[in-house]
Amino acid sequence: MSSFELTYDGANLQKENTVLEVAGLKKSFGGLVVTDDVSLAIESGSITGMIGPNGAGKSTLFNQISGFYDPDDGTVEVNGTDVTGKQPNKIVQEGLLRTFQTPRRLEKMTVREAMLVGAQSQLGESILPLWISGAEVTREERANLERAMELLEFFEIDHLATEPTTSLSGGQMKLLALARALMAEPDILLLDEPVAGINPTLVNQIAGFIEELNQEQGYTFFIIEHDIEFLMGLAEEVIVLNQGRVLLEGTPETVQSDERVINAYLGDM
Amino acid sequence: MSVIQLAVDGIVYGSIIVLGAVGLSLVYSIGDFPNFAHGDLMVAGAYGGLVANLGLTQIGLQPTSVFSPELLVTIVAGLAIGIVVAVATHYLVFKPLDSGPIALLITSFGVALIYRSLIWMGFGSSARSYNFPRSGPIGSIRDATGLAVTNRMLVIVLATAVVVTTLHFVLQYSMLGKKMRAAADNGDLARISGIRPRETVLTMWVGGGALAAMGGVFLGLHTLIRPLMGFDILLLIFAAVILGGIGSIYGAMLGGFAIGLAHEMTPVIPGVGSEYGAAVAFVIMIIILLVRPGGILGEETT
Amino acid sequence: MNVTIPKTDHELGSTSVVLLGLIVLLGLAILTGALTVSYATYLIALSGMYVLLALGLNVQWGYGGIINFAVVAFWGLGAYVAALATARTSPLGLEWHPLFALVVAIIFSVIAAILVGLPAIRLRADYLAIATLGFSEIFRLLVANETHITAGMAGLAGIPSVLEDLPFDTVTTNLLVVAVAGALVFLFLRRIHRSPWGRVMQIIKADEDLAESLGKNAFSFKMQTFVLGCVIMTIAGVYYAHFIGYVDPTDLDPLETFFVWVAVILGGSGSNRGAVVGAFILVAVLEGTRFLTDFSIFAALSTGPLRLLIVGVLIVLIMRFKPEGLYPPRDELIWPKSQTDTEGQS
Repeated sequence: MSSFELTYDGANLQKENTVLEVAGLKKSFGGLVVTDDVSLAIESGSITGMIGPNGAGKSTLFNQISGFYDPDDGTVEVNGTDVTGKQPNKIVQEGLLRTFQTPRRLEKMTVREAMLVGAQSQLGESILPLWISGAEVTREERANLERAMELLEFFEIDHLATEPTTSLSGGQMKLLALARALMAEPDILLLDEPVAGINPTLVNQIAGFIEELNQEQGYTFFIIEHDIEFLMGLAEEVIVLNQGRVLLEGTPETVQSDERVINAYLGDM
Repeated sequence: MSVIQLAVDGIVYGSIIVLGAVGLSLVYSIGDFPNFAHGDLMVAGAYGGLVANLGLTQIGLQPTSVFSPELLVTIVAGLAIGIVVAVATHYLVFKPLDSGPIALLITSFGVALIYRSLIWMGFGSSARSYNFPRSGPIGSIRDATGLAVTNRMLVIVLATAVVVTTLHFVLQYSMLGKKMRAAADNGDLARISGIRPRETVLTMWVGGGALAAMGGVFLGLHTLIRPLMGFDILLLIFAAVILGGIGSIYGAMLGGFAIGLAHEMTPVIPGVGSEYGAAVAFVIMIIILLVRPGGILGEETT
Repeated sequence: MNVTIPKTDHELGSTSVVLLGLIVLLGLAILTGALTVSYATYLIALSGMYVLLALGLNVQWGYGGIINFAVVAFWGLGAYVAALATARTSPLGLEWHPLFALVVAIIFSVIAAILVGLPAIRLRADYLAIATLGFSEIFRLLVANETHITAGMAGLAGIPSVLEDLPFDTVTTNLLVVAVAGALVFLFLRRIHRSPWGRVMQIIKADEDLAESLGKNAFSFKMQTFVLGCVIMTIAGVYYAHFIGYVDPTDLDPLETFFVWVAVILGGSGSNRGAVVGAFILVAVLEGTRFLTDFSIFAALSTGPLRLLIVGVLIVLIMRFKPEGLYPPRDELIWPKSQTDTEGQS
C-alpha cells in the first residue's frame, strides 16, 4: 500500500491515487513572502513528513491547504476537486482534515462530546430533523457514540470519555485531537506538530498509532514536525521547506544526510 | 443655519468627543477591552468639576467670564476626580478580574451603572450647570463672519487644541509617551506576549481618566450637566475610536472631529434632520466596522 | 471526576427552591398587604416576559457566544409591530388580529436579524457588541422620530390585551399565555440544545477555527442561533405590547438590554434553567427596589438610581466571583435518547 517513489514530477502523477495536490502556492503577508511557489502531491495511503526551520512557512502552507488562508496564487486539489480558496468546512467535506499545533481546551465539553463533533454530516446538526426525525437522530448518535468510544479505546484514553477536556494533559489533548479527526474518516489527515511538547514515551506511542492507522486502515497522513527523529521512523517521504520554498524531498535518510538541510537548520538557529 | 455654522458646531462637539476618544482608545488598545464605563467616567469628571465650581461660588467668588481662574479650578478638580475614579476602578474591579476582553467588557457595563447611579444619588436627576455667565455669540466674530461662536465654544476648542498639542509632544518625545504608543500600536503583540507593564497600565488609566474628565467638564460646559449624559455620548466616542482605528491616538483625534462634524452637520443631508445626528455617526461606525475594522488610520486587518 | 456530577433531581430541586422561594415571598407580600394581587400577577407576567428575553439571549450568548447588545431593539421590534398593527391609535390604522400581527412580527424579526447578522456576525466579539449597540440606537432614533409611522414620542396606546378571545379574565389570560409561551420556548430549546446541533454551537463558542476545521460551517450555525434568539426576543416584545397596552420610544432604552444580560449571566450562560431563574431574580431586583425605599435607611433614595446601583454591583460581583452563574449548564450535549441503553452513561 505504501509508496516509496513519491517524487513530485508534474505531469507524471498518478491522478487516481493522488489525494492532495498542491501547485504553485504563494502567500505573502505585507511584502514578506511566506510560501513561495510550493508544489507537492500526496498519494493515498502514504505518510509524508514536512520539516523546516521556524518561519519556513509550514503552518502557513497548512493554513492555505485547509482553507484558513486564501493563497495569493496557486491551487489546492483534494481528491481531484479544486478547493482553492474554499472555506475550511467545505474542504473537510472533500475529505481533508487538519489538526492544530496547539490544541485549545474546550470549556464545558467532555472528551466524548468533543469526539462527537468530529463526525461529519450529522442529521442532528440541523434543527428540523431534531423534531421530525428523532428516531434517526437517535440511531445516528448511537452509532457515533460507539465509534467515538472505539477510537478512544484505540488511543487508550477511553477512561477519560466523560472527563471535561479541560482536565486533560497536553499529550492527552493531542491524542484527543487525533481521535476526533478520525471521527470524520478523512481521506487525508494533516497533522501540525502532533508530538510537539510531549514526553518521549507518548511520542513513541503516537508514532505507533499513526503507523498502525496507516498500515492497517490505510489512512493517509501529511505531518509537520520539528522532531526529525519522529518522522524518520515513520514517513516514507519527507519534504523540506525552507524560506517558503521546497528545498528538497526524498526518503528520510537522504534528507537527513543532505548538507542543505543541515545548513538550513543551523542557519536558522 | 449655514453649513459653516454647522461645521463650527461640529468642531466644538468634536473637541469634546476627541477628549473622550483618545482616552477610550488608550484603554481599548492597552487594556484590551472596550470600556463601556468611559462615558460615565466623563460624567464623573463633570460632576467633580461641578463640586469645585459650586464651592468657589460658595466662598463668594463669582466668575465674570468663562475665561477665568475659576474655570481652571473647575477643570483641575474634574481631572482629579476622573483620575481617582479611573485608577480606583482599575484596582478595585478590573485588575482583580484578570479575565478576557469579553468578561471585562461586560464588567465595564456594570461599572458604568455604578458610576451613573452614584452620581444620580448624589446630585439628583435634574440638569445642573457650572456657574459661569452665559454670554451670547461673540460680537466681533459675528460681525466679521456671521457665525455664532460663544466664549464657551472658544474655550472648549482652544483648550482641546492645547491638550492635543501637548499630548502630541508627550507622545513623540517623552520616554513614557513612546512606551504608550508602542503599547497601543501593538495591542496584539501585548495580548499575545501578555506584556502589560504596570507603569503603562497605570499611565493609561491616569491619562484616560484625565482626558475623559476634561471631556466631561466641557460637555457640561457646552450643554448642561446631567447624570445620564454619559451613555448618550459613549457610542459617539466609540464611533470616533473605531473610525480612527483602535489604538491609534492620532486616529482618535481625527475620528473625534469627524464624528463631531457628522453629528452636527447631519441637516446638510437632504431629508435628514438634526435628530438623526447620532444615527448618522453610528451608521458611519458600523460601516467602518464592516469594511475596515482597523479604522482609517489603523492597520488593515482581515 | 464526572462533569455530569449533579444529579438531575437535586438540580431541579434547587431550581424550584429558588422559584418557590420567590413565590412564597410574593405570597407573603400579598398576605401582609405589601403587594396587591393585581401587582403580584403583574410581576409574574413581567417575569415571564423576561424569561423569554433571557432564553432568547441565552441562545445567542450562552450557546453560541454571540454578543448581542441589541436585545431591546428586537424586543422593541415585536412590541412596535404588535402595537402598530393592532392599536386603535396606530397611525397605520390597521387594527389587525393580534395573532396575525404576531406572525408578521416574527417575519420582520427574521428579516431584521438576517439583515443585521449577515454583515455583523463575522465581526470579532467586541466589534459585534459595539455594532449591535449601534443598530439598537439607530432603531430607537428611527422609532422616536418617524412620527408619521410610529407616533414618535407620543407612544401608542389602546393596544388590545393578550388574546382577548380566550374565555378568561385579562389577568388569567396574561399569566396563561406567558406561561405557555415560556414553557414552549423552554422545551423547544432544551430539545435542540442537547443535540448534535447544540454541540456544534458549543464548539463554535469555544473555538470557531476548530469548529471549521471539523467541517462545521460556523457562520451558518451562528446565523441560526442569532435569528432564533432574535425571534424569541420579538415574541417577548409582542407579548409586552399586549400585556401593558402601551409602548413608546423610552421603552427602547439600551439599559433594558443590559438587564437581560444580567439575567443570563446571573443564571448561568448556556443554561436554560439559569436563564429562567435569572429572569425571576432580575424582576425581583428591579421591582424589589421599589420597596427598599420604604425602609428608613434608603428613604432618601429614589428607586431609579438604587435599581441601577444594584444591577451594576450585581454585574461586577458575578463577573468577579461567579462568572459561570448560579446554574451553569450541567448536561453533556448528547442526544438524550441515544444514551438510554448504551453503556457508560451518567
